[in-house]
Amino acid sequence: MSKADNWLLRVDDLSVHFRSSKGVAHAVDHVSFDIYPHETLALVGETGCGKSVTARSILRLVPEPPGEYASGAISLRNPDGSVTEILTAPEKKVRSIRGDRISMIFQDPGKALNPGLTIGRQLAEVFGEHRMSMILENAGFDSEKPSRTATKIVQQRAGLLERGLYRLSHMNAPKALQKSIDDAVMQALADTGIPNPRKMLDSYPHELSGGMKQRVMIAQALACDPDLLIADEPTTALDVTIQARILDLIHQMQQKRGMAILYITHDLSLVRQFADRVAVMYAGRIAEIGPSAEVLASPQHPYTQGLLAAIPRPSTPRGQLAAIPGSVPQLIDPPAQCHFASRCSFAGAACHDVNPQLLTIGDKREVSCFRFDTASRIGVSSADMPSAAKLKGKVSS
Amino acid sequence: MTLNNGSLAADFGGATDAVVSLHDVKVHYPVKEGVFQRVTGQVRAVDGINLSIPRGQTLGLVGESGCGKTTLGRVIAGLVAPTGGDIWVDVNSTQHADIERLREIAPKDRTAADQALWKDLETNHRLGSMSRDKQSNYRRNCQVVFQDAFASLNPRQLVRDIVGRPLRVHNEASGEDLDRRVTELLERVGLGPQHLLRFPHQFSGGQRQRISIARALALNPEFVILDEPTSALDVSVQAQILNLLVELQKDLGLTYLFITHDLGVVQHMSDRIAVMYMGEIAEYGPTADVFNNPLHPYTRILRDSNPTLEDGAKTKKWDLSGTVPNPINPPRGCRLHPRCPVAKAECGWSVGDVLTDAERNTPVIFETISRIERSSEFRATVTFSEADAAKSFAKRIGTLAAHEALERPVRLDEKTVEVSFNEVSDAELQQLRDGRWTSCTRTQNLGALPEI
Repeated sequence: MSKADNWLLRVDDLSVHFRSSKGVAHAVDHVSFDIYPHETLALVGETGCGKSVTARSILRLVPEPPGEYASGAISLRNPDGSVTEILTAPEKKVRSIRGDRISMIFQDPGKALNPGLTIGRQLAEVFGEHRMSMILENAGFDSEKPSRTATKIVQQRAGLLERGLYRLSHMNAPKALQKSIDDAVMQALADTGIPNPRKMLDSYPHELSGGMKQRVMIAQALACDPDLLIADEPTTALDVTIQARILDLIHQMQQKRGMAILYITHDLSLVRQFADRVAVMYAGRIAEIGPSAEVLASPQHPYTQGLLAAIPRPSTPRGQLAAIPGSVPQLIDPPAQCHFASRCSFAGAACHDVNPQLLTIGDKREVSCFRFDTASRIGVSSADMPSAAKLKGKVSS
Repeated sequence: MTLNNGSLAADFGGATDAVVSLHDVKVHYPVKEGVFQRVTGQVRAVDGINLSIPRGQTLGLVGESGCGKTTLGRVIAGLVAPTGGDIWVDVNSTQHADIERLREIAPKDRTAADQALWKDLETNHRLGSMSRDKQSNYRRNCQVVFQDAFASLNPRQLVRDIVGRPLRVHNEASGEDLDRRVTELLERVGLGPQHLLRFPHQFSGGQRQRISIARALALNPEFVILDEPTSALDVSVQAQILNLLVELQKDLGLTYLFITHDLGVVQHMSDRIAVMYMGEIAEYGPTADVFNNPLHPYTRILRDSNPTLEDGAKTKKWDLSGTVPNPINPPRGCRLHPRCPVAKAECGWSVGDVLTDAERNTPVIFETISRIERSSEFRATVTFSEADAAKSFAKRIGTLAAHEALERPVRLDEKTVEVSFNEVSDAELQQLRDGRWTSCTRTQNLGALPEI
C-alpha cells in the first residue's frame, strides 16, 4: 500500500452550510484533506475561516439545523481495513467513535468541563461509554452478561436508590465496581502528569487552575487511546509558560501512543514547532497545504505570505508590519471567485470570475491559486490571468 | 555590584518628565469569610510598584494572567483607588527629586519651606489630592483602550454617540460641530462618515477596536493606556491596529502604556518594558536589552516559552515548575523562588514553602500533620500523627532546594520535626546597570543571570 492510500481519515470535498435569515453561509466550502496515522496536521486560519466547523464535522457535532452537510464525505479507516463513512453512519455508530477512536480537546477548558460534576465522575463517563467490559472485568464481573444495575452504575446512570438497593443485595460488589472505575480514571489522570490523582477525583473544575483543567481535558480525550485527537485551540486560553507545558504534554502523549493529531490554531508560530503538515484555511476553503517547515519557509499562496508577514518579529521596524489590507469577505452566498482576490496584490480578472482549485505544485504541496495555473486549463484568456508565480524557496519536487 | 539603591520611579528613561510617576503603589483586596464577613487576608494584586512613564515613549507592561498588570493600568487611569502609595501626575525630574526627598522626612520634621513645597506638589500633582480642575484635566489627558472591544462599546448606542460621548461630557462640542468632530476622529482611525449611524454589532472586531481608539482620542489626550488592545484580534487585523497606533503616536506625540501578555507584540511596540510577577516588577529596562539579555529568570522563562517563527532551536531548559502560589500569602524573599529553576539558598525559603510542597507533592504525609507551631515565618515545629510520616517529611526536605537555606539541620524527634531557615528580607528591585533593573537576588549578587 503506498503512502497515499494509507490515510487514517479522509475528508473529501466537504461543504458545510448554515442557513440563516440572511441567506446560506458557506462555512466550509469544498474542503479536502487526508490525515495519516501518527502525524500532526495543523489547520490554521483566522476567526471565521471554518477551521472549527471542519473539526466538528469530523465528529459530526455540527448541529443540524441550522447546519447542513451540503456535500462531501468523511471516511475513517478502521483497524481491519474497512472504512466508516462518518457523515452517513447511524447515530449509534458515530457515538461509538466519538471519544473512543476520535476524541477532541476544546479551546476553553473552563467551559468544556461540567461545573456540576467532580473530575472523577466526568472521566468515568468515558469509560462507561466505551470501556464497559474492561471496567466490569477488573471488578471481577462477568463482562459477557452483566446485571442491568451494574451496567448502569458503570455508565454513571444509576440513581441513589438503585445504588443503595444494589449495595444491600450485593455486599462488596459496588465497592469493587467503584474501585475499578476509579483506578481507570486515576491511571488516565496520572498519564498526563497530574500530581495526586486521587485528590483530583473528588475535585470540581472550579477548584483547578486553567492548565490543570486542560490536563484533565487531555486525560479525558486520551482515556480510550484514540487513533485521532482533534485539538481545537487547546492553549489559546492559557498563559505562555503553561502553553509550552501543555504542548509538550500533547507531544509526549503522541510519541507514547502514536495517535494522529489534527491541531487547530490561529497561531502560525506554534505550527513550526508542533506540526508535520499544515493546511491554511481562508474563508471556508483551503488556501495551501504542505509540510509545515516548507510552507513556513516558502509560503506560496498570497494569503499565507500575508499572514506570515503580519506577525511582529524582532527585526520588523516599528509601525511597519505588513498588514493584509481589507477584511475577510462575507461567507453568505459567496460569489464563485477566489475569496482572497479582493485583498490580493497579484489578483487578475480570472481571480474574480472563477473558483480556484487546489493544485499540486511539488511533492506533498498544494496551493489554490491561479498564479500556478494556466489560462487554457481554467478556460479564460491569458490576459485575465494574474502574474505567474515563480516557486520561491525550497519546494521539494 | 549595584549602581544605586534609589527607586525605579526615578528612572525617567532619558525623558525630562513623566506623565505619571508611581511611588510604592499598592492595591490590596480584602478576603472576607464567614457570616460576619470578617477580613481574613489580603490579595495583593499590586504590591509596592515604583515606576515612571516617560513622556512621548511607550512603556510595555508584560506578565501572565493574574500578575496585576491590568489592575495597575486601572490604578493609573484613576479607575481603581490604590490602597497605598502615591500617584504623581506630570512631574519633571526636579519635582521628582523633591518628592523623593520629602517622602523621607516625616511631616512634622519638615521645614516651613518644605511644607509649602509639599503642599504645592500635593495640590498640583498628586492624584487624589489634586484640585478639581487638575483632576478633570488628568482625566481628559489619560484615556484607556480596553481589551475587549465587544464588551467596552455600548451595544445600544450609535457610533456617533459612543465616540462623541467624551466631547459631550467635557462640553467640547454639540450639534453639527459634534458630528464634524466625530467624523474627523473616525477618519483618523481609518473609518468614514458612513459609519456614524451604525451600531457596534455591525462592525468586525478590528473595526470595533478602531472605534475604541477613536473614542480614546476624542479629547486629544497625551497619554493612552492600551490594555491588551489586540489580544482578541487575528494577526492580520492586529498588524493593522498596531500600525495605526504607531502612526497616531508619531502624529500626536502620544505616550503609551502598553499592557499585554504577548511578548512579540510588546517587543515590537515598546521602548522600555516592565515584567510583572505576582504584583511586583521583576525586571525593567530597554526592550531589546531585556529580551536579548534578560536579568531575571522569569523573563528568561517567558522568552523561552514564547513560540516564535525564527529558526534556530533554542535550548529550552528554562521552565517554571509547579503552579502560581497563593497571592494571599506570597512566598518570602523573591516571589519566584519556589518555581525558579536557578533558586538557591539566598532566595528566601521559608516554612510555607516546605508545607506547600508537602501539600502538593506528598499529600498522604501532609494529611497526617496534626499541629504546626510557628515561631516566625522561618521557624516552625511540625507535629505529625505518625512517626513514619515525620521521618519522610524530614527526608523530603533534604531533597528540596530549600535544604540549603536551613539555618541548622532539620531536627527529628519522634513525631515532631523542627525546621529553621535563615531569615531573608524580601527581594527588592535594584539597578544593576544603567537603566537595567532586576529583583532577582542571585542576579544582583552575581552581576549576571545565573547559569542553570
